[in-house]
Amino acid sequence: MKGGPMPRRKKSDKKKSPIAVSVIAVAIVVLFLLRLYQVYEPLIRQNFFQHGINGPLFSGWGLTPLGSDLLSSTTYLALSLAGIFVLIGFLRLRRWSWVLLMAWTGVSLVIALVDYFYSHANYAVMASNVTIAFALNIPDVQRIFGIRRDSNGAAL
Amino acid sequence: MAQLSDRPSAPAGTPDLELLRKFEPVVYYTKGEQVYPAAVEHYVEDSTLWEHHPEGHDELLVKHGQMTMEKLIEPRPAVFGTIRYLRFIEPLNLAEAAKVLADQATLHRKLGSNFRPGVGRLARGGFLPRLADGLFSLSFLLRGHLPAADMAAAELDYNAIREEHPEHVYYGRVIRQAGWTILQYWFFYYSNPWRSGFHGVNDHESDWEMVTLYMYEQDGQLVPEWAAYASHDFHGDDLRRRWDDATDLTIENGHPVVHAGAGSHSSYFRRGEYQAEVNLPLPGWLAGLLQSWNKFWTETLGQPAGNAFHVPFVDYARGDGLRIGPDGAQGWSPVLVDESTPWVSQYRGLWGLFARDPISGENAPAGPMYNRDGSPRGAWYDPLGFAGLDKVPPPPQALQMLNANCQKVMQRQTELEKLVPEKAAELQVLGIRAKGMEGNPHLAKQYATLEKEILTLSNEVRALRRESSENSALLQGLTRRLERMQAGVQDHPQAHIRNPAVPDDPSETLRFDRAAETWAAVSLSLLLFVIAGLIFFAPHYIWAGLAVILMLFVTAESILRGAFVRTVGRITLILAMLASLILFIHFWKWIIVAALLVMGVSLMVQRLRELTG
Repeated sequence: MKGGPMPRRKKSDKKKSPIAVSVIAVAIVVLFLLRLYQVYEPLIRQNFFQHGINGPLFSGWGLTPLGSDLLSSTTYLALSLAGIFVLIGFLRLRRWSWVLLMAWTGVSLVIALVDYFYSHANYAVMASNVTIAFALNIPDVQRIFGIRRDSNGAAL
Repeated sequence: MAQLSDRPSAPAGTPDLELLRKFEPVVYYTKGEQVYPAAVEHYVEDSTLWEHHPEGHDELLVKHGQMTMEKLIEPRPAVFGTIRYLRFIEPLNLAEAAKVLADQATLHRKLGSNFRPGVGRLARGGFLPRLADGLFSLSFLLRGHLPAADMAAAELDYNAIREEHPEHVYYGRVIRQAGWTILQYWFFYYSNPWRSGFHGVNDHESDWEMVTLYMYEQDGQLVPEWAAYASHDFHGDDLRRRWDDATDLTIENGHPVVHAGAGSHSSYFRRGEYQAEVNLPLPGWLAGLLQSWNKFWTETLGQPAGNAFHVPFVDYARGDGLRIGPDGAQGWSPVLVDESTPWVSQYRGLWGLFARDPISGENAPAGPMYNRDGSPRGAWYDPLGFAGLDKVPPPPQALQMLNANCQKVMQRQTELEKLVPEKAAELQVLGIRAKGMEGNPHLAKQYATLEKEILTLSNEVRALRRESSENSALLQGLTRRLERMQAGVQDHPQAHIRNPAVPDDPSETLRFDRAAETWAAVSLSLLLFVIAGLIFFAPHYIWAGLAVILMLFVTAESILRGAFVRTVGRITLILAMLASLILFIHFWKWIIVAALLVMGVSLMVQRLRELTG
């Protein structure tokens, strides 16, 4: 071989993010954008930005269409903001962010499934959540976040 | 080899009864235990004898007050499917049931033997097992079962008989098999009030339990090596402990110590509270489906195995109650039995009520020699196999056998060392001959024959080389073991155990003890109330509502049990799988097209890379 022996590849025990972490991060951003659309869409439908709250939110014990749209916008806004908060922790490989992201994905999936069965399905949101859920379950990802600590793969 | 000096021993010619007495166990019961080992005669004499006919009706064979041990074994021809059984407690009417329950409470107060369960069994299992437990409890509405009053009556009658016959009996048996001398101690109880008295799995009239000791002979002395305790329906290696296993086996003045489960009378080596799990009997197709799901869940998704269809029960073997055994206030009255004992071998029926329970939990057991269906009981005719000892030679023979085995393998190895080069040389000769034949069409026939011969010989040589290689590895192992044994090094006393029964760790308490226990007690009812509310107030959202509520309950439970992370992960994974299914149903064409495109591109990249070097 030319130029002497080939240098040995350096190995270190430093925490490195598996590819799945990047995939999850991208999926969170995609979800954030999708949820953001879900925040604005009902508000635009109700002309909220032109007229503000221009009608009653409750009718008896139930919600009016405006109230319902406002509630769903607020929920989606909370979910979007939570997503960004989680993303920051996730990129810094914090254990709490894995737990929060799993819980967040669970809640998000419940909403997506309820939407699917009772109103209009958002398949893009569903697909992003599925990607995140499965990626979070990868043993290497769980290990790097300290969720799975043993060597034989048993979850904590 | 075990150090004999620290073990009790008995001369090899010791009479059986004396031998049994020398090593009889000490049994510790839990405070609140209702019945103790007793003689069978008084129980039989106070029972009636019945026959359950295949067409469904029950026939009284011997009336109350007329039963004797002779009548028990009287030959009575019967058609296939007939079940003969004793009945200790006659059916009680409402007033009688109320009276015996009140009398039982009075008796417990008098004896000061009220049982306190401590941390409830329901709080020890998760929410789903508790759901299964609810189903199990409901199953008693459909299955035959014993009313709690029957068990109370059995306890009262037992105590009345005990006043006249206070002795605690064991039925001892000595067997000599494959170099082992086996001592079996059979204990007969009037009832098994595990469910009604101790929140366990089942109740039944009468109960048979057993402890076995395995001894070997050395220098004219019988030395105990193993103790095996019958525990529910388990069998095999996990049941036995070596005499020097100080972790599990306690020896009191040369007598092994047994801790009996309250009501179940199941025998344990260590005192404590044991989690017993009972799997719900599921139909075959559902069990198969569940098995496939578990395989996918553990192998594909890498999740820890679990079974939501098991019902958690606690077997309380606290050992804080009565002690029966030598060197104490309550000793044993031994009775020697074997196949010639008439009631042992000639009565194949049940020793208590046949409750018509299809899964048998509430039907009384048969005697020591038989199973409930009248077939021979494994623990009786194969006491070695019962504890997984059929493959284990007694220690003095083990060394000899190992030595002989080593010699045999070494001899074969020597043969092979000579044989392999011979055969290999023979093969080479044939190869050279075949080469010489090539290019000579007139030798085609001989060449074909030679080719076949070469193939056969080649296979033979390969097999011999494999055998030699395997023998070499085997010999290494055998020699190493032989050296260890000759040096007196023993295996770890628990090396044979795969799934040991371990009591709950008393220091491992629930995260929020009281809250978790309260939640465990009320959660199932609360769930039913919420479902009722859902049906009433939001019938359109019943399925989604049910799923969400169940998830919320499981999550709440996980917080109390300190298992939030694991539970949230599992729930989300299940939701993700459901969502994947939905996505596949709607976009299967796109998904298949995308997969094909990805595979195509990947293949193309690989091939092009090969092409361009």
